[in-house]
Amino acid sequence: MIRAENIHFTYPNGFQALKGLSFHIKAGEFVAVIGQNGAGKTTLLKLLNGLLKPTAGRILIGGLDTARARVAELARKVGFLFQNPDHQIFLPTVREELAFGPKNLGLKGAVLEDRVKDAAAAVGLTPYLDFNPRQLSKGQRQRVALASVLAMQPEVLVLDEPTTGQDYREALEIMRLVKKLHQQGHTVLLVSHDMEMVARFAGRALVLGEGQLLLDGPVATVFAREDVLAATGLVPPQVIQLARPYQEQGLLRPVLTVEELYAEIIAALRGEVDARQVLPA
Amino acid sequence: MPGKSFLHKLNPLTKVVWSLAVITLAFVYQQPLPILSLWASVLAVALIGKVLREILPAIRGLIIFAAIFFLFQVFLIDEGQVVFTLVPGTGIGRITDVGLKACTMLALRMLAMTSTIPVLLATTPPKDMIVAFVEKLKVPYVYALMLVTSLRFIPTLQEELSLVIQAQRARAYDLEGRNIIKRFLALIPLALPLLLMSVQRARTMAISMETRAFGAGPRTSLHTSTFQLLDIGVISSCLLLTAVLAVVSLH
Ligand SMILES: Nc1ncnc2c1ncn2[C@@H]1O[C@H](COP(=O)(O)OP(=O)(O)OP(=O)(O)O)[C@@H](O)[C@H]1O
Ligand SMILES: [Mg+2]
Repeated sequence: MIRAENIHFTYPNGFQALKGLSFHIKAGEFVAVIGQNGAGKTTLLKLLNGLLKPTAGRILIGGLDTARARVAELARKVGFLFQNPDHQIFLPTVREELAFGPKNLGLKGAVLEDRVKDAAAAVGLTPYLDFNPRQLSKGQRQRVALASVLAMQPEVLVLDEPTTGQDYREALEIMRLVKKLHQQGHTVLLVSHDMEMVARFAGRALVLGEGQLLLDGPVATVFAREDVLAATGLVPPQVIQLARPYQEQGLLRPVLTVEELYAEIIAALRGEVDARQVLPA
Repeated sequence: MPGKSFLHKLNPLTKVVWSLAVITLAFVYQQPLPILSLWASVLAVALIGKVLREILPAIRGLIIFAAIFFLFQVFLIDEGQVVFTLVPGTGIGRITDVGLKACTMLALRMLAMTSTIPVLLATTPPKDMIVAFVEKLKVPYVYALMLVTSLRFIPTLQEELSLVIQAQRARAYDLEGRNIIKRFLALIPLALPLLLMSVQRARTMAISMETRAFGAGPRTSLHTSTFQLLDIGVISSCLLLTAVLAVVSLH
């Protein structure tokens, strides 16, 4: 689906943001891109939908070379959710805001209406279709932005820190939504600073550090490399750190989330008297 | 921006005097070539001050602006010999030699005059600018602050505009290949988010200033504004040079 071949990117001011990245992402994967501030995550995402063109190397999206394709053309395949929904929202109702993208793709009439309805339903905004998006909460505005991307029915969803500035519940809700979209067949690329969310939802992680790809692999494998993560200022989720010594002793199987650890501990203690009373349910 | 070059070390007012000198000369000169060299001199100053690279995007914006200005004006003048017609056979879109020259002058003049602003901004911390205005020119603090703040917002706005453009392009929004009216309407998806965010920011700023007791009483400043020998030298040479060049060109 997405193939990056030794891509480099240098900003016009001479700053080298990406220095030779190669990876391949298959259709239907859920990939997290992590790394400290300024590592080049946003730059990488912008290369994927053609907003920026690689200064060397190339990126293929479903066989289409991003350097040759127009952004409007790539927008059909790659939906990009920006960090700040206020950068795109400008129409007086949610309905019109959601119709903006598909209209640009040339859709009209009933097809257009269906797209809008489906996208609104997918993010739970159906009751708000005639509201002014500016009056919704930050989390809801983020969902408006997400729906306006979904309305174009892209195969790949690229999300740049979709949960920043939101409380835990709202963030979790957005992530559940993304998970649902992933299960429906979208390929998902997600930038996030929230390692718990990454461990919980992503299948694979790319670790960027100063424009280079430091690690690439299943989330569990990546989070086991604390040495490399520390070099780019990342810390694995607490639950993984907590479980590591037991895991190394062969007492527990590898875990990624609190729920998994809980289940593991219960299983490990099974057989001992009153195990469940030792641990609050 | 600590003193990277001599431009950074000058008193802000000295740089304002330089700007005014450039503006005066831009009005005095009536030929494209001298104005072009005036503009080149502004860029040369930026180069010496090591900020040319930094201000290049702003200069590019000013060039585009001047070009638009040129296009709007050039069709309106019908004196002189016709050198070009947009729709041959009719009078639509004709350009005359007089119009061409007048508008070139106008655009170049604008360019030369406005190019000093980014140089000024890139080499002067806003606080120093305010202090200089308030102390040396006795401008009321609020006005000085307003002026400087609005100027300081320009780079932020530029950055934000580029994000807005990217966000809309990611929704298949195409800016190319439309006719002029459509292109004008096409600005709405870009201008509106920008405007709404600016209003929001202004509100936030007003609140954050009020909560820090802005306007509660007489204010003092930590650093005072001083003129040094270098300033006096630069100001006098600016004035002298302007006077000489003006007299020479008027004769
Ligand atoms: N338009 C630009 N011009 C020049 N340099 C830029 C530009 N945009 C970003 N950079 C630089 O490129 C580097 C990578 O930026 P990028 O936005 O990709 O980082 P990031 O990993 O997304 O960081 P964050 O976690 O803060 O969002 C940063 O050092 C940044 O300063
Ligand atoms: Mg970023």
